Amino acid sequence: MTTTAPAPPRETSLDWVKKNLFRNWWSGLISVILLPLSLYLAYRALRFLFVTGQWDAVRVNLTLFMQGTFSRDEQWRLISQIMIFALAFGIGLGTNSAASHDRAQDAGLDVERGTIAGTLARMWSLVAFIGLLLFFATTDDMGNLINPFLFVGGGLVMGAVGYQARRLPRRFRNVGWLLTMTFLVIGFQIVSGFDAGGWVPLGIIFGVSAYSIAPVDRFEASWLRGALRFAAALIVVLAIRAVYAAVDTPGIGWDDWSGLHLTLMVSAIAIVLAFPLGLLLALARRSTLPALRIMATAYIEVIRGVPLITLLFMGQFILGFVVPQDVTLSAITRAIAVMTFFSAAYIAEIVRGGLQALPKGQTEAGQALGLAPPPIMRRIVLPQALTAVIPAMVGQFISLFKDSSLLSIIAVLEFLGVRKIIHAQEAFRGVGIAETLVFVAIGYWAFAFAMSRESQRLERRLRVSR
Amino acid sequence: MKRTKLFAALTALMLILAACTAAEDGGAATTEAAAGGGDGGGAAAGGTLDAVRAADVVVCGVNDGLPGFGVVGADGTYSGFDVDFCRVVAAGVLGDADKVEYKPLTADVRFTSLQSGDIDVLIRNTTWTATRDGQEGASFLFTVFYDGQGMMVPASTGFTTLEDLADANICVLSGTTTELNLTAVFGARGIPFNPVVFEDNAQLRPAYEEGQCEGWTSDSSQLASFKAAIEGEGGDEQFIMAEIISKEPLGPVVSDGDTEWAQAVEWSVMATVQAWEFGLDSGNIGSYSGDNPNILNFLGTDNFDPGLGLSSDFAIQVVTQVGNYKEIFDRHIPAIGLSLEGSPNNIWTDGGLMYVPPYR
Repeated sequence: MTTTAPAPPRETSLDWVKKNLFRNWWSGLISVILLPLSLYLAYRALRFLFVTGQWDAVRVNLTLFMQGTFSRDEQWRLISQIMIFALAFGIGLGTNSAASHDRAQDAGLDVERGTIAGTLARMWSLVAFIGLLLFFATTDDMGNLINPFLFVGGGLVMGAVGYQARRLPRRFRNVGWLLTMTFLVIGFQIVSGFDAGGWVPLGIIFGVSAYSIAPVDRFEASWLRGALRFAAALIVVLAIRAVYAAVDTPGIGWDDWSGLHLTLMVSAIAIVLAFPLGLLLALARRSTLPALRIMATAYIEVIRGVPLITLLFMGQFILGFVVPQDVTLSAITRAIAVMTFFSAAYIAEIVRGGLQALPKGQTEAGQALGLAPPPIMRRIVLPQALTAVIPAMVGQFISLFKDSSLLSIIAVLEFLGVRKIIHAQEAFRGVGIAETLVFVAIGYWAFAFAMSRESQRLERRLRVSR
Repeated sequence: MKRTKLFAALTALMLILAACTAAEDGGAATTEAAAGGGDGGGAAAGGTLDAVRAADVVVCGVNDGLPGFGVVGADGTYSGFDVDFCRVVAAGVLGDADKVEYKPLTADVRFTSLQSGDIDVLIRNTTWTATRDGQEGASFLFTVFYDGQGMMVPASTGFTTLEDLADANICVLSGTTTELNLTAVFGARGIPFNPVVFEDNAQLRPAYEEGQCEGWTSDSSQLASFKAAIEGEGGDEQFIMAEIISKEPLGPVVSDGDTEWAQAVEWSVMATVQAWEFGLDSGNIGSYSGDNPNILNFLGTDNFDPGLGLSSDFAIQVVTQVGNYKEIFDRHIPAIGLSLEGSPNNIWTDGGLMYVPPYR
């Protein structure tokens, strides 16, 4: 028999106001002063947004903000790229959510199930930003009106597909990841082109998949199974290579990216590259090999001691003289390289903090179990150390995302830099300066806030499943 | 263990296949290079011109935020006075004004981009000075725009010369060559004045309109656009003095050491002025029926070839696709408030400085 505590009296909204706003005389005084003030500020902000603001500078140049000077004839490539990336993220998140839900259930934990409504609510800042874009989109660019819907819709559908992938037989469980990787590669290649030599990434992905899911279980001899697996992989890779050779269509590369598209892509690429590099640097700095340790320490301290803007300029001025004459690196490639190397040094220090915070007993326990150093690192130390530093790490990613606005100083036209060229246009010289600034600020905030929320969730979930 | 084997096997497979592709590509590249060496030969001379022809595009460094000279429209296309001269170069060298790739550059990176070969030609309101010519590895070509520092006063003051501004307050941006020029010119003429220094034009303009200073000095192209803005928004009428107190010749710049390319760019650009002098514009150049031998040379109708490495009809391509100098000027510069008449940018026969060597 269980006894339940008597339910506490239901709190009315009046009680809430009393408890939180007028608990004593001075908190009441503060409330009386601050409430009207914040209401007034909110009123002024909304009035600026909907009534007094001269939003034409944003409205007319919406495409310029989104895609910059990217050739409008090739615009379909960017739109397809975003769409395909949306599909990739959708199915990646869906699969991941399904997998972690299954894992948690196996461990006997009760975790919330991922739902479409929950995902949208979590990403409300992005939804609001898309709403703002729709508010500004003029009816004559229907593409701009439809795209956000397709983007969100496609992502959600693929999320659902990925979530359902767990119903498949175990062998095909990884089909979600296969699709994610395929979409990511195709998303890049739709801009950079499907050249005959571009088969390698998809070749690797499908080769590995074919090798691991080849139906060879009914054969007894292990050498035969191995040979058959290898043959399956070879056939798949050759087929992909043949398809690429047949298509062989050049693209236009990423040198023309600009606007918000550039900001997002450069940040995403730099984050993805900087994380493993930072991890390796952190491990190298704690290595017992002096040469490795000294080199990693020197790298980290030099990079952290120099302002990013200096490094960006050095990337433009010095890289050109260091690389061979016939290798031309575009400004964007250099910028991505500099942002990656810069962030990696900070991430290394963050990871090192996490490693140091972990009690030595964890490693010793692993050793006592007879584990070799790599599994101890991979299965015991890193998962705990990385979980501990998620907030700091995401903070670094967010600051990398915002630092991409420095790229306009080296003449790479990113989201904020679009403002400058808009106000050189005859119609908007000195007109709508505050409005474009507010628009850009909202854009940056929407993405940074979504990243921050996602990190909080990740943190919670990793704590739960531990 | 099994996984290690898998990766080893697949890596080996990848390497073999990649090597096959590389071998094919390498073979093709070698053949191409051999063919190029066979019929080209000019490539040995350093050849930006050949490289541009091979790439079939002129990479042009421009400004993307200077009204009248280089702006980007809502549809992402470049336009402006400097931009049109990029199109002139493409029309002259490649026969198609649209074969331009624009590279927006900041003032800091422009010469480095030129030296490292990121751009073929720099047309970004760059003043020709001895130091830049000598130290930046840059060759300055035909000046397409004579800008200069001017002085604006409220029309109500009635001032018309710099001497009228004795003991006046003069608004100027800090740390610019403008400030140095002001001090130098007023000092040399012995005119006493009080400089009122600002960090940027956004602070300077309201101060000037409130009457904190009697004069505002800056590049005349900038003053003209502020004059238009102030008067357009119902402010006091403004007057820009005819006197120019500094020389700011702006023109295309190429990298040092490639005279073939420099000539091709310079003569393409000068064709716009030559056409103007001949009275040819985009409307009538195709239908010229006179017998002036100089014009016939210029149009290449008698297959006249001065050996500049340009096709004989390059002038027709330049003028029909982009226009003569006056057409280019009228398209962009009056909109920011500057006129051709009485300025150094007029043709020499009308008292300006636009004078090109004879095409014969």
